[in-house]
Amino acid sequence: MSISTQGGPERRPSVVKPAAGAKPNSPGGGKPKGSGARPGGGKGPRKPVTPVKVAQQRSWGPILLFVAVGALAVGIIGYGAFAVIKGSESWEDRAAGIDGIVNYRETDPGMLTANHKSGPQTYKTNPPVGGDHNTAWQNCMGDVYDAPIANEHAVHSMEHGAVWITYKTGLPQDQIDKLAEKVQGNEFMLMSPVDGLSNNISLQAWGYQLKVDTADDDRIDSFIRALRVNATQEPNAGCSSGVTATGTTPREISTGS
Amino acid sequence: MSTTDISSEPSTDDGSEEPVPAPPARRFTTVWLTLAVVIGLALGYAAGFLTPFATTPGDDSVEAGFIRDMSTHHAQAVEMAMIMHTKAQDDQVASLAADIAITQQGQIGTMSAWLRDWRLDPTGSEPRMAWMPNSQGSLTNGLMPGMATPEQLDALRAATGVEAEKLFLDLMLTHHLGGIHMAEEVVDLTGNEDVDWLAGTMVASQQREIQAIQIIKSELPAG
Repeated sequence: MSISTQGGPERRPSVVKPAAGAKPNSPGGGKPKGSGARPGGGKGPRKPVTPVKVAQQRSWGPILLFVAVGALAVGIIGYGAFAVIKGSESWEDRAAGIDGIVNYRETDPGMLTANHKSGPQTYKTNPPVGGDHNTAWQNCMGDVYDAPIANEHAVHSMEHGAVWITYKTGLPQDQIDKLAEKVQGNEFMLMSPVDGLSNNISLQAWGYQLKVDTADDDRIDSFIRALRVNATQEPNAGCSSGVTATGTTPREISTGS
Repeated sequence: MSTTDISSEPSTDDGSEEPVPAPPARRFTTVWLTLAVVIGLALGYAAGFLTPFATTPGDDSVEAGFIRDMSTHHAQAVEMAMIMHTKAQDDQVASLAADIAITQQGQIGTMSAWLRDWRLDPTGSEPRMAWMPNSQGSLTNGLMPGMATPEQLDALRAATGVEAEKLFLDLMLTHHLGGIHMAEEVVDLTGNEDVDWLAGTMVASQQREIQAIQIIKSELPAG
């Protein structure tokens, strides 16, 4: 037992200490180490040595520096992280933050079907925000239509990521012009009048709707910013090559297929 | 060696003060070392987390402005090319229209992927062309340099035959000149390698296309 344990003190130190270690300690180990530890007087001189321990105690300068630099770094990087997290708020969250917006993706996802069907479709909301639609989409290259267009085409445009601005037929021209300014020259935007609208202006993107009373409402820009392209159901689908005519009866593409 | 190690530990009876002074010193070191490592790791993680955001262009950057505006500019080129492609009778015009539509739609895809990588919206907070110095007055009814008006697009849709082909070539030439102007500006302004590369290729390829347009135009029959 003693041989095996002595052979492996490094491997099994816990076994070595009490069993084999005690024996050589008193006779053999006493020579080198005991000389310093044995003399009981050693206790006396040891105490004055303790000031070494005091010297080992905290040296406040470096510690303060360390803490200060650390706190500064934590502050800077923490602020950066806060700004990044705040700045990278998802478009869904930003849309949800718009006062008065209705998110049909949450409240009525069942109506947001997306089949291609010919002929007139019925929609739950006016104007529609999604649902089955025509094979052809309404051209949404910043097109400003001066007469009502077919819902069946506009819904397809929204499926591609367009924001559709609608206004009550008969809205004053200066209000129409302000809306048109937000549309012209911007693909994934289209605008048209709608008969029998409950409010002056209604904004639509796939699954979202916001009704406002004036073109000066700054929620219009927030809506466009959050949902234009972002609301797409088909990323990278386009807005050109669509129907450019007005009229509320959907057109059928005569492809022969 | 091993015996000396062993002797020091069991000899707690006589050296009771011996182990006492040692651990406190070691404890301080351990605490500070642990704290330093933990803070260091946290800072390193935070810095790594933030680096992509700190090094990619921001919402009002030249790069983001250029990408949004050039995507819109390109989208209209695709629109005109697609209108022409369906009715071009001249093979060279049909081929040019297909080339423009496919190339520019592809570039739109690249650019919109960058915006997404940079966590930026397709719609910016800055007005069109705001990224370009001295660009005041370069917008007409929301249209950027070289872009066709809604009336010109209607005319292109309505035209037929050689008339349509010539109108398309003229509109496309003007469109390319505007696009080259914007791309050259961003090459001057940006420090972003990818944006610099793509804009550089736009300048070069659209200049070559302008030469092709002029040659095709000269070869079209009068009418």
